[in-house]
Amino acid sequence: MPCALLGDRASGKTTFLGLLYSAQVKYGTGVQDDFRFHAPIQSLNIMSAVYEGMKDGRFPSATLKEEITELGFVFGYLRKVVGKLPYYIRQQNWVHPFSTLRFSAYDVSGEDIEEFIETGIASRPLIQQLLKSVVVCVLVDCSKMTTEIDTPAYKKMLRYDSTVAKLLVSFQTYKKQEYDRLKDSGVRADSPKIYPVFVLSKFDTLRDDVLARLGLHRGFPDNNRARKEYAEALLRVFVPQTLSQIRGGKVAGVSMDKSAYFLSWVRTETHEGMDPVGQSKIVRTGFAPEGGGEPDFSYDEYVNFIEHFRDIAHKIPDEILEAERFQAQVMARSA
Amino acid sequence: MLRREGYPELRGREPMPRVVIVGDQNSGKTTFLGLLYAAQVKFGSDKADGFRFHAAFESLDEISGVFQRLMSGSFPDAATKEGVREIAFRLSHRRTGLGILSHRRSRGSSPESSASFQLILLKSFEDEMARSRERGSVDQRTLSSALTGDAIVIMVDATSLAAADEEGELAPLGKYDEAVASLLMAVQRSRDQAQDKFLHPIFVLSKFDRVDPEVLRRVDLDADPPDVSKKGPHAEYAKRLVDPSMPKTMAAIRSGGRRGLQFATPSYFFSWVRTDEPAPGRDERLRLRRRGAVGWEPDYPSDEYLAFLECLAGIAADTRA
Repeated sequence: MPCALLGDRASGKTTFLGLLYSAQVKYGTGVQDDFRFHAPIQSLNIMSAVYEGMKDGRFPSATLKEEITELGFVFGYLRKVVGKLPYYIRQQNWVHPFSTLRFSAYDVSGEDIEEFIETGIASRPLIQQLLKSVVVCVLVDCSKMTTEIDTPAYKKMLRYDSTVAKLLVSFQTYKKQEYDRLKDSGVRADSPKIYPVFVLSKFDTLRDDVLARLGLHRGFPDNNRARKEYAEALLRVFVPQTLSQIRGGKVAGVSMDKSAYFLSWVRTETHEGMDPVGQSKIVRTGFAPEGGGEPDFSYDEYVNFIEHFRDIAHKIPDEILEAERFQAQVMARSA
Repeated sequence: MLRREGYPELRGREPMPRVVIVGDQNSGKTTFLGLLYAAQVKFGSDKADGFRFHAAFESLDEISGVFQRLMSGSFPDAATKEGVREIAFRLSHRRTGLGILSHRRSRGSSPESSASFQLILLKSFEDEMARSRERGSVDQRTLSSALTGDAIVIMVDATSLAAADEEGELAPLGKYDEAVASLLMAVQRSRDQAQDKFLHPIFVLSKFDRVDPEVLRRVDLDADPPDVSKKGPHAEYAKRLVDPSMPKTMAAIRSGGRRGLQFATPSYFFSWVRTDEPAPGRDERLRLRRRGAVGWEPDYPSDEYLAFLECLAGIAADTRA
């Protein structure tokens, strides 16, 4: 099932994907073997190149980012029932052992998306694929969270908020129209649902005064409710249109209420009393039996991110199968 | 392609209030719509989560353009104004006092417990005002747009209110008053077969921060209108300004006959957005105020806008009844 990862230019998308790759390498090779990761060769090359660079202490280069035209990956989660089967049966393809989610990354400032927002015409395959997404993961760049209204960062955030809000509304409109079409054809279908996810990227660059004024600490809470409150306190200020349209989905007949929130940061070297010259260097963990020399990043958040989709992945295939059955019924009726 | 009629109401499946907005040139119509959207974003993203709204896909591009300008401290420019023709949105409110929306609030925010609206800027009315100040009749294009309206928002530019003489009466707004009165009478005539139908007049006194203090002094009013929650005094304050300034319009509203389309009791709201003193040679800038601890927003009366939305919800209840 298609899932969209939305981010602005320089919002930390490539770094996020590199770190996600790093996290899944560690997590996906654990003893449990209930999570698998797959990426097309082109995406894998880029993600592993980003990962290699980070292990070397470097952020992704501009050249590498330019190479990204379409970057995608697949998450696979072992189905609960299948997990109880003997190993040799579990390995058979006919069992469909894994529920999968297919992620694609999109640059919201890209030509295709800008054209779609302006015209509402989803003629390009990329947009058609985007609109079918049931999971929408929005990267919000914390380095642009500023309270100084005359800065480019403030204006960029305003523009990003508008663009993401428009995209979310187009997702909702598309889902609602599809649902209405099925209903009009006499097919019973569940109300449409989209699962939004917010990733607060470059969280280490978020200014202390912003957090202090909002009464927040730098640590992100573990409890889901507290995470929601923490993240929404920031989103309310910096992407209010997006937040209001996520909530408003329900009044338009598309539920987007089950938002989840994650942080992404990667520790960089700091030199006391001195401003860094050029790109900062990534801090790496020391070598240890369980692995080392890895970028020091919010690994637990990435694991939470991976685990968040387990239930969704298990639930969605049934919905899709139903939708496919409905489509078949519609076709049969109209024939 | 996404159909540009996102709501079933827009496809004629359910009744949806159509709200027509009329105003003279530069009376603040686009800013009013922008601030209305800003108020919805504000209440739709607040911690209480008691108000939800959804902007229609076809409206969002233009109105979020206005929002971006307002949030950066600028008024809508000519290109932005040209782009804004109408906005459609759906809203739901969990608080009390919203008629149809409140008695269903136990069902939560859902399409069934919400109401949709279409707000249409009557650009042709503005053009007509600019083109001909002498004609007594209403242009057909204007009439056809206004004909199906359930409510009419009449923008009254507070900067054009003036004292007529030393005695204290306010001067009528002349041609604008005549044009609005003609429009209302033409709408009423063309809908004389309508049974039990109401047209809700809503007066919005725009740019109220710039009203001449002398005008207020003449009619013995305080500098600021009463809080919008004090409905009686709030309406009375506005009436004392609108009645003498728009006498023909008020007469048209009062003259509603026993048959056909009726005019409901008018509602009144105030709008303003505070500005900073412009630097020489620079455009006028909006004054932004703190929103919460960190955010910013234009300095405008958000409670007036919330009350306006509640008024629309009441009209939606009437339309569905």
